[in-house]
Formats: sequence, structure tokens, C-alpha cells
Amino acid sequence: MDYELPSEFDLIVVGTGMIESIVAAAASRIGKRVLHIDSNNYYGGLWASFNLDSISNILNSASNIETNLEVKQFLTENEKIYQFGNDAFHMHTHSQIWHIPEKANEQTETEQSDLPTECIQKEEESWTQEKLLKNSRKFNIDIAPKLHFARGDFVELLISSNIARYSEFRSVSRVLTWLNGQLEVVPCSRSDVFSSTKVSVIEKRMLMKLLTSCVDGDEKEFVGYENKTFRTYLKDRKLTDNLIHYVLYAIAMATDTTPCLEGVENTKRFLSSLGRFGKTPFLYSMYGSGEITQAFCRLSAVFGGVYALSQPLNGLIFNNENKFKSLLCGQQRISAEHLVMGIEKLPKEFVNFTATQFISRAVFVIDRSIMASEKENLTLLLFPPEDGKNPCTMIEVGPLTGTCPKDTYIVHMFTKQTTNPEEDFKHCVERLFGNSKNESETGEKENLLPNVLWSFYYTVPNTVNLDLKNGIPKNIFVCPGPDLDLDYDPAIAQAKAIFNEIYPDLEFLPRAPDPEEIIIEGEDNNNIVTEGENLTDQPIDEATEAVADLQIETSNDHGEGSSGIEQGEAE
Amino acid sequence: MAKTYDYLFKLLLIGDSGVGKTCVLFRFSEDAFNTTFISTIGIDFKIRTIDLDGKKIKLQIWDTAGQERFRTITTAYYRGAMGIMLVYDITNEKSFENIKNWIRNIEENASSDVEKMLLGNKCELEEKRQVSKERGEQLAVEYGIKFIETSAKASIRVEEAFFTLARDIKAKMEKKLVSHVYNDCF
Repeated sequence: MDYELPSEFDLIVVGTGMIESIVAAAASRIGKRVLHIDSNNYYGGLWASFNLDSISNILNSASNIETNLEVKQFLTENEKIYQFGNDAFHMHTHSQIWHIPEKANEQTETEQSDLPTECIQKEEESWTQEKLLKNSRKFNIDIAPKLHFARGDFVELLISSNIARYSEFRSVSRVLTWLNGQLEVVPCSRSDVFSSTKVSVIEKRMLMKLLTSCVDGDEKEFVGYENKTFRTYLKDRKLTDNLIHYVLYAIAMATDTTPCLEGVENTKRFLSSLGRFGKTPFLYSMYGSGEITQAFCRLSAVFGGVYALSQPLNGLIFNNENKFKSLLCGQQRISAEHLVMGIEKLPKEFVNFTATQFISRAVFVIDRSIMASEKENLTLLLFPPEDGKNPCTMIEVGPLTGTCPKDTYIVHMFTKQTTNPEEDFKHCVERLFGNSKNESETGEKENLLPNVLWSFYYTVPNTVNLDLKNGIPKNIFVCPGPDLDLDYDPAIAQAKAIFNEIYPDLEFLPRAPDPEEIIIEGEDNNNIVTEGENLTDQPIDEATEAVADLQIETSNDHGEGSSGIEQGEAE
Repeated sequence: MAKTYDYLFKLLLIGDSGVGKTCVLFRFSEDAFNTTFISTIGIDFKIRTIDLDGKKIKLQIWDTAGQERFRTITTAYYRGAMGIMLVYDITNEKSFENIKNWIRNIEENASSDVEKMLLGNKCELEEKRQVSKERGEQLAVEYGIKFIETSAKASIRVEEAFFTLARDIKAKMEKKLVSHVYNDCF
């Protein structure tokens, strides 16, 4: 590289995970000199998305630390250096397995000429590893998939900070649950409830009444339930078993032991996001959740943040008072007042905490949706707890989200770990996926379970509740990894807390100006761009409109580079 | 709200640091030139609506925000881009050699049918020229894309470059629409 990094910054951020990226954006936004640096050659850290080729390589990504570098030569007297990275907080792969042959069977090919046309087509339709890998680039597989509440902290932050212009979203089109041995659509809006054929008229009235009292019910409604479960409350409201299932496991995303007030809060969170952008309260980021960290990095860069990936991070340098001074990048010392870093980058010497909770995660590439339908759906499936298993959250995304090729879907699963991912999801996998070798015999495609083409099981430590200040030098701030929340609420809260600690009196991500509002001043007076001039020759209302709100992708075709971006809120 | 344009095209500027991407952008969007925005602070994208064959086309042109310096352009930058201006500096050999790296980067991240165009900027600095016009033309032929030498400072052919790119995108788009209609009919 021809360019050299500057040697002094206000803030160095190591790692490009979600929280790190938000802090970098916020600091650049208020004019701080920020270096955002990563040893990985991709953005996102533990929050990234990968294509099919690269996801198999993240597991053994070679570190580019120069092990034989004599680091002492870069230190002055009384300084200490610690190497980046620890083994405690990385993701841990259990298995990554292909469930299809590597190549099309050559024998079948030679036989093809004798077979009727129908069979030849059949053969062409089936997936091989080769064929999927040819489409590798069309995959954006999240390792920390997220949905966004339409009126949640994340969406509000995107809009208020004007970061919304860097990403596009699609509405989740259905919320499913597993009820009485099959998948059922959860009626979530008022119109859903009334049009549902699975809910009787009496149940409809009961459900509407309950949801209303959860949203704007006064304090008295829940008096006496402070120490009782949400389930008890629902029982006391005389809800039928089906309704309790919908409200408890889907709408409130709760369990049988969730306290009443927490269940009410969750219900409110769900209901208050209804009716803004689509039929459900949720959005999904086009091209995967990994895009989101990049949107924050883009904002930081626009405001002067310096970005460097694939860097040889050779160590952190401390003075004799155990205060962070500089980092050693290659052979260059780069100093800053403060350091923010992802937990997986923390030197071993500072690991004074251990994760006690883990998240089981799995990703499946499948050949059709878990619940067939005329239109492509974007699905949230809340699998209820059963037989000592924790409730599992699943997100199914299709080609229209820009995360997988035509004729495939991706299913993400995550849950609080009890044993290991394979065991934790076993009951779900058995019910949702099939291995239908007899496809041609039955001929009824609609009733077939999807086949798993590729699967990936892994574990991530849940570090969001650890005391990440314990034994950490005062000018270092450690960011936890991905958590179990469906949205980014805890991540935003963490980022905000770190920002407020470093810059107590400064505003967190104020609205970034639109390009039309920026006035460039220069020595050449004839060419100063003034806001007035600008306004006259541009349709400014149109321009600001385009970025003032979320961009929701609504097109329904598979065309590339589609321009069907529509703004604004749904009625 | 009535649309004030018929098409919206997202365009990107790509190329090494210091080749004048931001200057090209300002020349086209504001008809201004300024030497003070050396590093691209606060510039996200610029918008200009142009008329092409009776259609109003809104061009949303994105700048790299300095993330090209250490080749850390986000994959998100490329999403939905319909046209890319590859810019080098005719007085800087290295910036010309790097064009092939940028093309590789585009192939990895942008949509496969993105329209590309090669710009040799700073053509007013004839006395400092390191890359001949012929080499620029040859490289463009190699990649099957159009080529133009521009000067953002002296305001030479910048308009022409963006109009050409926009016209090619429009043609491609209309062809696609026609073939869709055709397929639907038969």
C-alpha cells in the first residue's frame, strides 16, 4: 500500500463488529479523529455476513501477526506490550456439512439420452455442491442474523441519524409458530385477527381486548401480577389454549416462566411496531445483517474516519501506569487517547471474565420454503419451548432479500444454549426439514418438506451481561459480541454507554446533513457552493425525501439492480 | 407526491486516492471546482437531474468517502449501483495500473450487469502526463467499456462522460423492459 496511516488519533477502534462500528460512527460524527482498524479482511467481525465460499474459510482464517517480529524495539522504557486476541470469545464451529453430492453424477448424464424429457429436467433441477458454489456470490449468510422492530431503537436511530440512506430493508411478511404439530401463521394485526380462520369469533374478541389492555392498559390491570408469570395472567384472562400459545410464544416471545410484566413489555414492543412498514412489525436488511455494520462505518468514513482492514495488529502498548498508549500496526506505532475494541480482540492478559451463557446457532440452505406459498415470504418463526428445550427463533429469507440464489432459501436458527446446537435444534430440524428421496413418487410438491443442502452449526458466547470493565485499563472500552435479542437494542445501548463515557457532554449521532445542505467553502470565491444556488436548480424536496426515511424494497421480481425502491410508511 | 423524474440511477465513483473523484463529482453536480476538499470529508453523494431524450433522469452519484485509501470500500457501497465511473489520474502511472484491481473489486462486489466507464482525469496537466491516451483507450477496449479523458479543473468533457454513462444505462434498461414485455407476450 502506498499510503501510511497517520500516527495519532483521538480514538482507535479495533474490530468492525456492530457496537465498535456504532461507536466509530458516533465519534467521527462529532469531529473526533477516528482510526477504525481490523485484522480481518472483511467488515463485521462476529456480526458479519459471508458468501458460501468464504464462510467455510472464516473458521481457519490465518492471522497475519508477525510472530517473529522483535516487538521490544518499538517500546520505550517502562512500557509493556500485549498481543491481540484470545480464544475465549470467538465463535466455535460444531459442523459444516454438505448434504448434496459434489458434482452431478456422470453416470446419470450418460443415461440421460434414454430417459424421457421429464426425468432429464428433474436431474437438472437437483442441486450439487458445484452448482451452489458457482452461485457463491449470491449468498450473504449472516452469522448474527437480526430483524428490526419497525418502531424499535434501531430503526429510530437509523432515521434520526440519517444512516438510513445506506441501507435497504424488506418487510417480514409472516410470523409463524409451531402449534398442534404444524406450522401456523400468527395473527398479529387487527385485520389478521379478524380474517383468521383459526380463531373463533369469541376468541377474536378476547384477543383484541387483551392486546388493547397490554398496550394502553392502566397500572391497575397488572396489580397483583408483579410476582406471577405472564402465562398466569393470560390464563386468568380466560384465554383459550390456542390464544395463549399465540400471545405467549409468538407475540411476547416468552416462555412459561416469563414474569408477567416482562411479557407485557414484550407484547407492547411487538404491537407498537405494527402498521408502520408492512404486515408484521419486522424489517430485515437487504443483502444480510452484515450490511448494517458497514452502514455505520460508511457514516464514520464520510465524517473523516480512517478505515483499514487486513492490518497486521502486532500488539497493544501500555505505559507503567497500565494506561493504553498506542497500538503496533506492522512496525508503526499509532497512538490515541482512547481505545475501543471487540471482546474477541482482547489480549489474554485482560480476560478477567468468562462467559457462562452461550448461544446455539445454525444456518441451513434449503431448496424450498418451510411453508409453501404462492409468493416468496420473509418469515419469522417462533418455535415454542417443549420437553426442556428452550424456545428457538428462526428467520427464513429468500432470494428477494439478496441473500441466496433463486430456488433456495436460508433458515437461521438461534436459541439459548442448553447442550450444543445439534441437540438444541434437533426437534426443530426433524419437523421442518425432510430428506425426500421419494419426491417423484408422490409428485405433490406442496406437501413436501424442504431438503437441507448445506448446514452449519456453531456456538457463540453470550457476553452482553459480563462486567467488561473488570481489570480493564481506564481508557480501554470492550464491546461484547452478538446477543440473543431479535433486534439491535442491547448493542445500541452498549454503544451509547461507551460513547457517553468517553465523550460525556456530546451528542450521540445527531442527524447527518443531507448532501444538499453541505456548503463547501474555498479559496476560489467564484465557485463557492451556497445553499441558495443549490436550492434553485435541484428538486430538493425529492432529494431529501429519498433519504429522509427508510428504503423499503418492495419489488417482487428477481431482476438485478432493480430500481423499485419506495419510501414512506405503509398505511 | 408526483415524481419529478422518470428514472433514478445510482452511480459510483471508484479509483485511487487523489485522482480527483470528488472534483469530478463537484464539477458535474455543482459546476464548481475546489482544491480544498483534499480528503473527502462529509461528502456522501450528489444529485443532479438531467434530460435525456425527453426523459428526466435523476443521477445519484456516490463518492468513496476516503475508504478507497486502504481498499476498505464496503460491500454495501456497491449495492444497487447501475453505473460505475472508474477514475485514474493521467499524471499518475500507479493510479492507472490500479484500475485492474478496482475492476476485480467491482466484479467481486457489484451486480454483474453494472455499466462501467473509464475516466482519465486531470487531462489539463499535459506536461506532467505519464499515461498516454492510447493506453487508456487500449485498456478500455480490453474490458469492453467506454473511455474518456476529462479535466474537472478545466471543465473538460465531464458532462459528456456522465451523459454517456447515463445514456448507456438507460438503453440497457429499456432493452431489458422490452424483452420482458416480449417474454410476457409469447
